[in-house]
This record gives sequence, C-alpha cells and structure tokens, in this order.
Amino acid sequence: MISRTVCQRVLEKAVSTGADYAELFAERTVNHAVNMVDSKVNAVDDTLIAGASVRVFRGLRSVMASTVDTSEAGLLRCAEQAAQALGEGKAEISICLQERLFGDIHPIRIVPSSVGNARKVELLKEGYFAARDYHEAVRQATGRLLDVDHQILIANTEGTYAQDRQIRTRMIIEAVAEINGETQTGSCRPGRRMGLEMFDTIDPKTVGREAARQAVVMAGAGYCPAGIMPVAIDNGFGGVIFHEACGHSLEASAVAYGRSQFTGKLGQPIANPKVTAIDDGTIPGAWGSINIDDEGTPAQRNVLIENGILKSYMVDKFNGRRMGMPSTGSARRQSYQYTTTSRMTNTYIAPGTDRNEDIISSIEYGLYAKQMGGGSVNPVTGQFNFAVNEGYLIRNGKICEPVRGASLVGTGSQVIQDIDMVGMDMQMDQGMCGSSSGSIPTNVGQPMIRVSSITVGGR
Amino acid sequence: MEFAAFKTLVVRAAQELGIADYELYYQTSEQAEVSTFRHEIQSFSSAVDGGVCFRCIVNGRMGYASTEALSEAEAEQLVRRAADNASVLETDDPVFLGEGGQSYQKVEAPEVAMPDTETLVALALKAEQAIYDAHPSVTDGCSAQMVKQRTNLAITNSKGMDLHYEGVLTAVVAQAVVQEGEELSDSYEVRAGDLSSMDLDGLGRLVVDQARAKLNAQVPETAVCPVVFSPEAMADLLACYSVVFSAEKAQKGLSKLQGKEGTLLAAPVVTLVDDPFCKLSPLPMPFDAEGSPTVRKEVVSGGKLMTLLHNRKTAAVAGVSTTGNASKAGYDAPVSVRPFNFYLAPGDQTPEELMAGVEQGVYIDAVNGLHAGANPISGDFSLQSGGFLIEHGKKTVPVKSFTVAGNFYELLERITAVANDLKLPGAAGVTNFGSPTVLVRELSIAGK
Repeated sequence: MISRTVCQRVLEKAVSTGADYAELFAERTVNHAVNMVDSKVNAVDDTLIAGASVRVFRGLRSVMASTVDTSEAGLLRCAEQAAQALGEGKAEISICLQERLFGDIHPIRIVPSSVGNARKVELLKEGYFAARDYHEAVRQATGRLLDVDHQILIANTEGTYAQDRQIRTRMIIEAVAEINGETQTGSCRPGRRMGLEMFDTIDPKTVGREAARQAVVMAGAGYCPAGIMPVAIDNGFGGVIFHEACGHSLEASAVAYGRSQFTGKLGQPIANPKVTAIDDGTIPGAWGSINIDDEGTPAQRNVLIENGILKSYMVDKFNGRRMGMPSTGSARRQSYQYTTTSRMTNTYIAPGTDRNEDIISSIEYGLYAKQMGGGSVNPVTGQFNFAVNEGYLIRNGKICEPVRGASLVGTGSQVIQDIDMVGMDMQMDQGMCGSSSGSIPTNVGQPMIRVSSITVGGR
Repeated sequence: MEFAAFKTLVVRAAQELGIADYELYYQTSEQAEVSTFRHEIQSFSSAVDGGVCFRCIVNGRMGYASTEALSEAEAEQLVRRAADNASVLETDDPVFLGEGGQSYQKVEAPEVAMPDTETLVALALKAEQAIYDAHPSVTDGCSAQMVKQRTNLAITNSKGMDLHYEGVLTAVVAQAVVQEGEELSDSYEVRAGDLSSMDLDGLGRLVVDQARAKLNAQVPETAVCPVVFSPEAMADLLACYSVVFSAEKAQKGLSKLQGKEGTLLAAPVVTLVDDPFCKLSPLPMPFDAEGSPTVRKEVVSGGKLMTLLHNRKTAAVAGVSTTGNASKAGYDAPVSVRPFNFYLAPGDQTPEELMAGVEQGVYIDAVNGLHAGANPISGDFSLQSGGFLIEHGKKTVPVKSFTVAGNFYELLERITAVANDLKLPGAAGVTNFGSPTVLVRELSIAGK
C-alpha cells in the first residue's frame, strides 16, 4: 500500500519534535452491501474508504492526525501536523523498519469483492424468502448481505512494518410478525471473518427461518413480569452479559484512568469460581478475529478471569504505558479517523461442568433467556443493561410460556459473582461493538449459565 | 485532488457511459479534539474525513457508489460501480433528483469563533480544573474535552442544482467521577457554542453535583406508578422513537403510523415539532439531503398526527409534498428520512409545579441501552434507568439499577403534563432531540 521507504520518511518527520514513539496507519477498505425490503432488492451500499493517520507519543501524551491524502506529500504533512502539536523538541530516536511477516490464520477462499452483485443477491434471496415463507404471520422482512475488505498497513518506530487484509461477510435477516394486532420482531445475523465460503457451512435459509421463528413466537407472547429472580441465559449471544457486565470494564481505556470498577484488582477474586473468561483474537475464521491488531501486535489469546480470579486486562500500547503493562494485542479502531484504543475481539465464558437440564430444573420460578439482544454499560459504576429478545418463564424447573419486552439490569461486579452454574456447550454469536474508537466486529459467547438473582425489567 | 477537478472527471465519465441523470454529494469535515487527564493534555487528535457519493438513474432506478479516494482512476470506477449497483435493484419506487433554482430560508447561525490549538488546550485545562475545584470527592477519573469541527457540504447534479453549506461547531464535554468510600459515581455534559463565553466553572459544578447526587442510590420497589422524565431522558426516548414518524418506515410497515394522519395519537398536551431553524440548535440547516428547502412543522399538534416526515420518494408514494426531511446517515448512505430538531413543545408549568401533584412516583433522568431495550417497530421498551424517588410532590432519594417499561405509543397517550423547561440536551449536530420535563400517568418500574 505504502512503501517501506515512504513509511520511514513519514516516521522520521513524525518524531522530529521529540516524540518517543510514532506510528503510521494506512487503510483501504471496501464496504459493500445488498439490501432487501418488501421482497425486493432496494439498495446496494458501496463505499471505498481510503486514508491514513499518524500517531506520536511522548511519555503519557499522545497526538493523532489523520488525512485522506495518502500521497507521500500528504502523509508528510500529516506527520508534521502531529509533530508540531506535540510541541517543540528535536529528534531523539532512530528508526529501522523491518517487514514483519506472520501466518495468515484466516485464509479466504471466495473474496467477496471479486464476486458480482448477482451472486450476492441470490444468496440474500435464499435467506430473505425463507423468512417471508416461514409463517403467514410474517408480514414484512428486511435483509442485508454485507462484505468488508479491510486492508491495513502499520509502520512504527519500534521497527514494525506489517500489513493485513481482514475480510468479513455477514447476513442479517429481520422479520416482522403480527398476531392479533401485536407486532414483534426477530432477527438472525451470522457473520464470519471469511469470504462467501461462509455459506458453505451456514445455510442462508436457516438464517431467514430463525429470524421468522423468533418474530412469530414473540408476537404470540405476553409481557414479562417484573422483579428479582434467577435467570438461565442460553449460549451464543447470551455472552453479551459478560461483554457488557465485565468486558468493557477490563479494557485499558477504562482501567488506566480509574474509570473501572476493576482498577487495581489483578490477582484478586472478582467473579464466581465457576467463571473463566477469555478474549481470543486468534480463533480461525471467527467474526472478531484479527491476525494483527491496529498497532501491528499479533493477536493473542488472553485469559481475563480464571476460576474467578482476575488475570489480565485488555491493553493497547498507549494506555499500557500508564498501567506499566505491555500490549495484549487488543488495540482496535473502526478506521483511520478514530484514535486506536483497547477493545475486545472474541470474548466468551469458557465451558463449565453443569448440564443444561440441571440448570433449568434448578429454578423454581424464573426466566429462561433463549435469545439476547444488545446492551450497554457504564464502566465507572458497572451498571449494565441488556435486552431479552426471546424469553420464557420457568416454573417448577420447567420451561413454560414465552414472554416479551424483558431486559436484565444490574452491576457488573455483582452479576459475575452471581453466575453460579456454567454449562458445557459454548457457542459464540456476532455483534458490532461501539466505543470511543468506533464500531468494530466482536464475538460474544458462553455456554448456558445461571445467574442466581438479577433484576428482570418487565411490566 | 480537489473536489472541483474530481467532479469534472466524474461528469465526463458519466457522459461517456451515457448516464444523463446524476448527482454528486460531497461532504468533508475537519475536526480537532483535545482531552485532559490529571491536569495535563492527555491526547490531541485532528482528523480530516469525508468523501463523494455519486448516484445516478439507470433504467428508472437509482444506483449509489461512494469514495474517499479522489483520483482520476477512481472517478470512472465510481460511475461504473453506481451504474452496476442500479442494475440489480428491483424496487419500483419513484426516483428523483432535486431541481436547481429553488429558494431557501436564510439561516441565522450564531457566530462561532474557531479557536486555535493553544486556546483549545487552555480551555480544556480550565474546564478540568473547574471540575476538580467543585468538590473534594472528585477523583482523577474526571476529564474535559474540547472539540472544534468544520463541516462542508455540496450537492451538485445534472438538473442544475449547486448547493453549498458550511457549519462550524465548537463544544466542550465535561466528565466528573466522584468517590465516597468504595462507591464511584459519574456524570457528563456536552455543551456546544462559543467556547470563550462559556461558563466553565458553572459546568464543572453542575457535573460534579449531578455525580454526587447519585451516590448512595437505592434500588426502588417494583411498582406501577407515575413517572416524571427529565428533559434529557425524554429527549433520548424521542431520539429512539422518532423513526416511527418516518414515512419511509411507515410505508414499509415498520411503524404503526401508516395511514394515521389526522387521527388522535397522543394526549392533548402533546405537540411534537420538527424545526430545522430551532434557536437551541448549533447547526440550523436550510436544505435537506435532496436539496429541498427545509421548513418548521408540527408533526403532532394537540395530540393529533398532522403529518409524517417525508423525502421526495415517500411523498410521491403518499401523494403529498416533501416535508424537506431527506437525510443521509453519512455521506455514503442512501437518502432516507430524519427530523432536524425534533422536540416536544413546552407547556406553562414549572417542573416543580408539574411534580407537585405526584404523591408517590419516580423521577427518571437517565435511560440507557435504547439500541437494545427499546423496539421502534413494536413500541415496547424496557430500559435501565437512574433517577430519584418522588414522595409528596418532591424529589427525594436517588435510585438506580431499575428499569422502566412500557410502550411508546401508550406513553404518548398517558402524558398528563408538560413543563416549560424545553432543552435540546447535548445538541451538537444537524439532528437533535429535545423535550421539557414530562409527567406520564403510569409506567412499570422493576426494582427489588
């Protein structure tokens, strides 16, 4: 994308006022999506993103400048801007870039940008019409097949000169069902860090049917009751509970600034001994995986919590300076316009030893959360929320009628103590996680778990 | 390459490919931001971004393609991609490009000085100091951010339209974190406007007071009771549910308001206004994303639905005129529908008078996780909230870790009073949402 010689010159300019670290990040990304509504293809999104940013550090201070002009002159101007904003001084470090090669653990077979619209329309229609045809109550659906071809280059004054090409594919089907005037929605949105070969293992029809199934079940459901009760949260997107209740509070961007309830707690018990949680950016083909992070550090498997003990935070280079900790390969940004910070990749609660049937039968009166929606957290206080898209009441250890409109709220440090049963069948599901460095793909995951007591927001 | 030169290349490529109807939408923004930590500047960033969206009509269908790389090679590719994208569309929606020569309301934008970097740095440190000075319980988690942004927009097309807009915005973000014993609490405020005349000391005291007020919060009892929403909380709800007033959503069956114009939809005290020229907005906007003139309108008046929000396509489908609400989520997004400054019109009572009649209830000043806990299609919501108990007409103890649940359509019917304290909280763009303090007769609170 940009030659090593040019990168060298840009970095030299960037450190010319006394920075002790400089980095060039360049990007060329194609975002493409085919969309359907009303049983017709109604829009194609197609954007080329191209630009670069220069970051410099001196001590605990960072400056970032970005540009859309990726010519040598444009990059040098950008570097000069960053250097000047850092203040006055003179160059104190020398740079020797070396091409850093790493194995591609996510080889792509069918590169989406090399496949025409027609094939993508075909795949999307398979999923879309599976939803429309699922049940007579389904009266609308929307569909989206998106692919991203994200090429990045990172060069820094530690000598890194590395490139990566991150290709992702995702299908999103949302169904709207109406029964007796009650309108409800369902969705299914699988994604992989793969090309179109993703559909060799995921049949588009199952995507459409799953979205429609949820919508139809929920359109026939009554409201969820409110109160404090035990909840069994199923695998897959259920893992959003860990992502919100705990994951964000373990990011260096919160921990380094005293804005996390887990600051200073390394080595201490913070969760129930049943809980082991991992952030793993190296899982082949997984939605949140990366070969290298956006600072050029190879992705890692980081055990965050082991049997309840806090083992690691998720750390990027800049915030790591303040914490006195090395990078954990967790630096991520949506694009060159955002300042990189520590983020999650594929984050999940590891399998435990409880059987699903034992978890359900242990609950006299409570909620079975089969499908979760998104959520959010305030890392300072740890107060989080997330939505239950498909829930059922549990009475006397048996799953009973479906209920809608529920959400779960609590405090992160409390809820991870209250996860007192952990099942064996871990599965992951896909989300887009929004934070200060933009919207990035992340996986959440877990086996079925039991939370002994949590506030269920119903009516 | 400059936009003017790129445009010439794109127009030539379109002509060579026999494309007669096209539009270029060009948007760039320059932004600089400084943020503090522990009495020092922790980070500075300056970003330039934006690009060109080209759309064209091929066989009666509108294809889009966008790029940030303004080069000779990209110009032709852009046109080819848009034409190819048009060729797979199946929708029979009518397509439009804006006419040239329309007249637009003059904008009275407040004068905003663009501060240089040194001024931003000095102001950020001053704002942070004001937070520290407000109370001894303030911890190092607090910070101040100063932002300046200049946005330029141009819409130019084959029908003679050639519109330009420049918007300048400066804003401060103040965040306080306070600690008492083991408990942390935080609060933040966003203020747009002229930075040099801003009361930073007052802002520091405000965020610290707000954070301290939430210390020692309890979990309220589960109950069905009256709820008073602060302007901030109600504005967040309106932001989430404003999509139900989009004719685009309604026509696709994704809102319950299709065909409901002229019917009563809300309590008589409810009037919802969309005003592109609202005085509380930092960026008044004279034209929409299709280049149509914008206009103030009452969407709901005295409880009655007067109109949905339209762009030219949805208006043509409904057989009405556009309301000037064409919108793009980004320069590269397709034209959709959105309000500009969408707010609940204020009433006569003060917030204290409004609350005086509530014997037992909950005052909610924050709702969280709207992207997950509020469904814009069904109207159902169940939202993590924070606030205070109301006892005998007055706010008393702080409450947290509870949800408020209901349905947006029902909520509109149950609004019994609207106060006179209209705010557009955090207004820092072209689209903003606002509300006064609002009393809702009955909603479900889930706590302990």
